[in-house]
Amino acid sequence: MFGRSAALVALLIIAEAAVPVVPQPPAAPPAPAPGGVTSARSPRNAGYAITARLDPASRTITGNEIVTWRNTSNAPAPTLRFHLYYNAWRNTNSTWIRERRLTGDTSLMARPESDWGWIDVTNVRIIGDGRTAGDLTSRLRFIAPDDGNADDRTVMEVPLDRPVAPGETLNVQIAWASRVPRTFARTGTIGNFYFIAQWFPKIGVLEDSGWNCHQFHAATEFFADFGTYDVRLTVPKGWVVGATGVERDRRDEADGTTTHHYYQDDVHDFAWTTSPDYIEQRARFEHPTLPATEMRLLLQPEHAGQAERHFDATRAALKYFGEWFGPYPYGHITIVDPAWQSDAGGMEYPTLLTAGSRWLAPRGGLEPEGVTVHEAGHQFLYGIVATNEFEHAWMDEGLTTFATARVMEQRFQAHYYVKRYFGGFVPWTFRDFQLSRVGDGDRLAPYRLNAKADLPSAATWQYWPGTGGVITYNKTALWLHTLERTLGWDTMQRILSTYYSRWAFRHPKPQDFFAIVNEVSGRDLTGFVDQVYRSSNVFDYGVETLRSEAATVRGYVDGREGRVLAGAEVPEGPFRTTVVVRRYGEGVFPVDVRVVFENKEEVRWRWDGRDRWKVFAVEKPVRALSAEVDPDRVLLLDVNRTNNSSTLAPGAGKAARTWSVAWLIWLQDHLLTYGFFV
Amino acid sequence: MTARAAFREGMRRVNGAPMVVAGMFAVTLLVALPLSYALRGMIAAQLGSSLEADTVAAGASYDWWEEFAAQASGLGTTFIPSITGFGAVLDNLGGLLDNVPLAATIAGVTSAWLVLWSFLSGGVIDRFARARRTRSHGFFGACGRHVWRLLRLGVVAGLTYAFLFRYVHGWIFAHAYPWLTRDVTLERSAFAIRVAGYVVFGALLVLCNIVFDYARVRLVVEDRRSALGAILAGGRFVRRKPGATLWLYGLNLLGFLLLVAIYALAAPGAPRAGLSMWLVLLVGEAYILGRHYLKLLFYASETVFFQGAVAHVAYTAAPAVVWPDSPAAEMIGNADRPDVS
Repeated sequence: MFGRSAALVALLIIAEAAVPVVPQPPAAPPAPAPGGVTSARSPRNAGYAITARLDPASRTITGNEIVTWRNTSNAPAPTLRFHLYYNAWRNTNSTWIRERRLTGDTSLMARPESDWGWIDVTNVRIIGDGRTAGDLTSRLRFIAPDDGNADDRTVMEVPLDRPVAPGETLNVQIAWASRVPRTFARTGTIGNFYFIAQWFPKIGVLEDSGWNCHQFHAATEFFADFGTYDVRLTVPKGWVVGATGVERDRRDEADGTTTHHYYQDDVHDFAWTTSPDYIEQRARFEHPTLPATEMRLLLQPEHAGQAERHFDATRAALKYFGEWFGPYPYGHITIVDPAWQSDAGGMEYPTLLTAGSRWLAPRGGLEPEGVTVHEAGHQFLYGIVATNEFEHAWMDEGLTTFATARVMEQRFQAHYYVKRYFGGFVPWTFRDFQLSRVGDGDRLAPYRLNAKADLPSAATWQYWPGTGGVITYNKTALWLHTLERTLGWDTMQRILSTYYSRWAFRHPKPQDFFAIVNEVSGRDLTGFVDQVYRSSNVFDYGVETLRSEAATVRGYVDGREGRVLAGAEVPEGPFRTTVVVRRYGEGVFPVDVRVVFENKEEVRWRWDGRDRWKVFAVEKPVRALSAEVDPDRVLLLDVNRTNNSSTLAPGAGKAARTWSVAWLIWLQDHLLTYGFFV
Repeated sequence: MTARAAFREGMRRVNGAPMVVAGMFAVTLLVALPLSYALRGMIAAQLGSSLEADTVAAGASYDWWEEFAAQASGLGTTFIPSITGFGAVLDNLGGLLDNVPLAATIAGVTSAWLVLWSFLSGGVIDRFARARRTRSHGFFGACGRHVWRLLRLGVVAGLTYAFLFRYVHGWIFAHAYPWLTRDVTLERSAFAIRVAGYVVFGALLVLCNIVFDYARVRLVVEDRRSALGAILAGGRFVRRKPGATLWLYGLNLLGFLLLVAIYALAAPGAPRAGLSMWLVLLVGEAYILGRHYLKLLFYASETVFFQGAVAHVAYTAAPAVVWPDSPAAEMIGNADRPDVS
């Protein structure tokens, strides 16, 4: 892949005159040193050799990269397309900011001059193919394939003299200069903390149908091909650097800077961070059947006491995701604890993640464990199974949310509701309120409020930016958990591991996942997928009425002596129990209906859930106590659980009295607090 | 008279007026009860005949609570997990300090309670100033005598507090604080800045509060008719004795913090039906009673301190209120008077 040695080196020397810093092309083939492997796991069709220098005084990065790109599609490529994500924060006319503003986010308009960032490509040239004009800088243009926004500069197109044929490899050298923004979308700087992501010109993904290279949108993340990243980062001496991959070497420069050399095979992105304030700690993940992983933690000094919690959470993710999906293959992972107010927390990058914690983070709360497990889990779903986050974000975010909730249930029970007071600084843990996997992990409450916001099968970048996350994360986690309860965990786990092993280091699409669901479960679950994925139907089943009365007949009945009047006396039993269940929502899902009788006996019926209502009746010698639709709570997308049951001995009054007492004390205390004023 | 002596004497006077404490407690309870009953109806309606009610009655169910919140409106939106146990105190204190807007229903009932309390405070201060039983006719007579003055004072105080919360609070926490912390990367540093903001705002609030407190005391004790005159007099008094008035305020504040600390340790968490509910009610109401006691102690100790600071201890300029006869008795008394028909 990197083997165009002599001519390439010659051209690089020539190119050096035009740009300040020139990357050294990686040796070919890469040695199995840290970050590298002997045999490729991925297609490695988009490799980068990058040199970049950070100047904190001017908050600029000057960089130079050689992109070695192979056309893996069946179609020739007459142009190249690159993402220039930093231009999303060039001004308020970018698509990213326009979409954000749609949701009423006015803070963006108030950003001071110093907050904005950009990336300017200063030179583009083809090197080493001996056929093109070389310098293509004058040809580059900005395009807006999604919304036609002429002011958006997040996608750059470079026309070529001759199309790149399928299977052909091209080396493109790009020089650029960028200003690091005050953090937008988890990349940027505050003080002397830098988290640098989506920062270099990055080639799109060429599919048979053409370039998949979307503009940067408010509701979406990223998509890229796998390759080798060989990156040299120059930062002030003494600053700690963390990055995708592992550090192979470092060199102190004469100008008081240090160049850190990072390398990683088989990844599709590269992010890094630097700050003089990091505390660095290391630990190791070991497991009887999974590969060991070195963990490197870059911690904020004020979180020094939380190191083990970060490691514990990462261990839990590597263990459970490893057991459920498959092994984490890289052997190393870097956990970054971002600076307060950096807005860089909770994000995944290959072999590196940003967690997020608070100065006061009581045990039993979700910070930092929840976010760390989630982002470490993304190493599997995003990092290794590299889905298209622009179009199908649910495939990584939803699956990771589902699995994170399961990890939290397995490893970090119990955790509780925590509320923060006094400007959000002082936490108070409500130990009576234990959080559940469904409610907190799968995030049912926000879904309930936005269940119809978007069609999950629509492209994610077209989701409403204000609620896109609810459909992407919450709804997916809920229907996957529903699927788990429908099929059983064993089958679900086999689905996950099959999906992982089959699509690791590739780009699966939704139909690929659904095909595996059908294949492994041995069932045609198209109907289920139609309901939860190809529609925005809301699910709500409920018990409309429950009656349990003496099974007597009034009026005239046919007896041995002809028509006779039935007795007016009501004998004790048998009792006829009648349950009317309803489908209040549009969503259809087969459910059980259960009646429990006074003698603890149970009767269950299966209802296909299609009709708007259905009557179930049975005669028993005793009265019914209660009736419940979906008693095992299989359908977790049901937005109203309370109406799922009915009892003939309602306890609502007792419950209401109990809680209104607590509220009464709150109200009295409130009045006396305001009594300060009189 | 020293602040400590005033505090002790204030305690003695509050202890000597258990009916006042009980009455004010009852007033608060009676204002809160109807709303509590309304909320009870909302919870019962939401639960209906559901089996979920058993779970809810058995203790906290966060999942149910989220479902209730999704369906709630008006008063129901205030029924949140943080109302339980000591969370209620944090919720209310935090809400006040951070100027969190109140739900419309709660704002309404709070305003009504403040007006009612203003009305009653005339009788309460009069009672403490006299340091003897005034019986109900004396108490309510004083309430009636001072009510309009106290309400006028309340309007001025309300406007002052509104200014403080709207503009000063806004300036400190919506402008200065974000500006000062914009580039802060240490959370504890930002918290320190926020605490400094609370101290500055709190100092202004306390200063106004002390002036209005003594204005209220002077208005009743000196039988002043002008609310503005009372405020100026209150201000003069605080200016003449800044250390002692602050020290006395601090002693009262300390009492409040002590009570809050005890409640933090003793407050039961989420209630369960049965004995647990009664325990929550008992401990909670004991705490509320304690807060009433301390609120009245504020009045009593400041009244005592003011009285001790002027020439005559136990000075009250206001004459004892003469309760009017019943209309029937008045008619009989007027029977011989030809000018009254």
